[in-house]
Amino acid sequence: MNEQVTLNTQVLDALLLDYATGALSRPLELLVETHLAMNEKSSRSMRMLMQLGGILLEDSEPVSLSEGALQKVMSQLSQFDNETDEIFSRVNAHTEWLPHPIANYVPESNCKQSWRRAGIGILETDINFDEAGGKAKIYRIASGTAVPIHSHTGAEVTLVLSGGFTDETGSYGPGDIAIQEAGSEHQPIADDDGECMVLAVNEGKIRLTGPIGRVLNLLVN
Amino acid sequence: MYENRPEMDFQLVSELAVPFTKVMGTGFTTVKPKGLTKWDNLLVCVGRERDRGAFSELFEHFAPRIKSFLLRLGTDESIAEEVAQEAMIMVWRRAETYDVRQSGASTWIFTIARNKRIDRLRRENRPLPDMSDPSLAPDDVETSDIFVFRQQEEKKIRHALKNLPEEQAKMIFSAYYEEKSHREIADESGVPLGTVKSRIRLALNRLRAHLDEPEGIWKS
Repeated sequence: MNEQVTLNTQVLDALLLDYATGALSRPLELLVETHLAMNEKSSRSMRMLMQLGGILLEDSEPVSLSEGALQKVMSQLSQFDNETDEIFSRVNAHTEWLPHPIANYVPESNCKQSWRRAGIGILETDINFDEAGGKAKIYRIASGTAVPIHSHTGAEVTLVLSGGFTDETGSYGPGDIAIQEAGSEHQPIADDDGECMVLAVNEGKIRLTGPIGRVLNLLVN
Repeated sequence: MYENRPEMDFQLVSELAVPFTKVMGTGFTTVKPKGLTKWDNLLVCVGRERDRGAFSELFEHFAPRIKSFLLRLGTDESIAEEVAQEAMIMVWRRAETYDVRQSGASTWIFTIARNKRIDRLRRENRPLPDMSDPSLAPDDVETSDIFVFRQQEEKKIRHALKNLPEEQAKMIFSAYYEEKSHREIADESGVPLGTVKSRIRLALNRLRAHLDEPEGIWKS
């Protein structure tokens, strides 16, 4: 196993664990959810991690709630008796082919306002989340296009949504996650058998649960 | 309380305890279904019958544990209390979608509490956990068999957890009990990031290996 593959698998497990415990920023959470919908092995691991959470919850030493908490909650239950299932988000028709978690975030391919040119043969769009700094990008790279060599200020996590690309570290197909460490340079080249669509999240800048993020959280709340 | 409901028991048995003669890949032998936990049964009652008595029993068991879990994460007492209550209301609202074959009540309630806590941090509504979601359901097992296997799985995870080397167990507990991301674990413990990642990797590999043991459900 080469160094990059080891790195990728280690980062992937760390991301899965962070997802299970709720420590990821929203953009990375979306990336992991989409990956889970595309990768059976990871979704097994996630199932295991959620079970682990259930076990740890079950084993927690109970701490009494305030007096009357049960009565208070019981008195609120009837208002939910006639709920419908609208809470689950619906998927837009044009993105039906994409995995469910990401589908509603991807603008229609022909919608010119939504896609910016980011170089020859490359289109990009932003996914903005409410929280401060929470951002992800979707890139569409035309078949066979070489993306100019670039580096990242923070680590970048990239998930292939469709098609595939190859860079110095290896080849990536649908559902694969590629990790680009901070400062490292790479030049991805889209496979020549069709457009490559990727979801990219810059890990370094957007965490909300880091020490600084915690302060932000306090301010927000 | 649930013990007084033989009719539910019968219903569950007739639906779930179908003969497990199906051979699932190699190494699988016929397994007799084991009993559901009391909490699984209560949650089923809430989902099917909107049973308030069952709900209050679930509340009394899980709400104090959710609160405890949140306090361990450093959540403020009053917020821990509120989130525990909100999570239990969500349990009531979504109980119909609980599938006893796919997850234990504690796993299902853990995911609800997890999401409620994140919502609280983010003030954002997220789609509710959908346990038919591929990430939460084993997908290469016949539905009728899932129930038995998920119980085996829980047992194996428990066992594997107990047998993790201390340094690996520490990573797992820091993650769940202190809401630390792997980066924070590295920052705060002084263990290099690469070492944290490789320990997490080793820990998960061990847990996965236990699940993959011959009597396990996963095809190799």
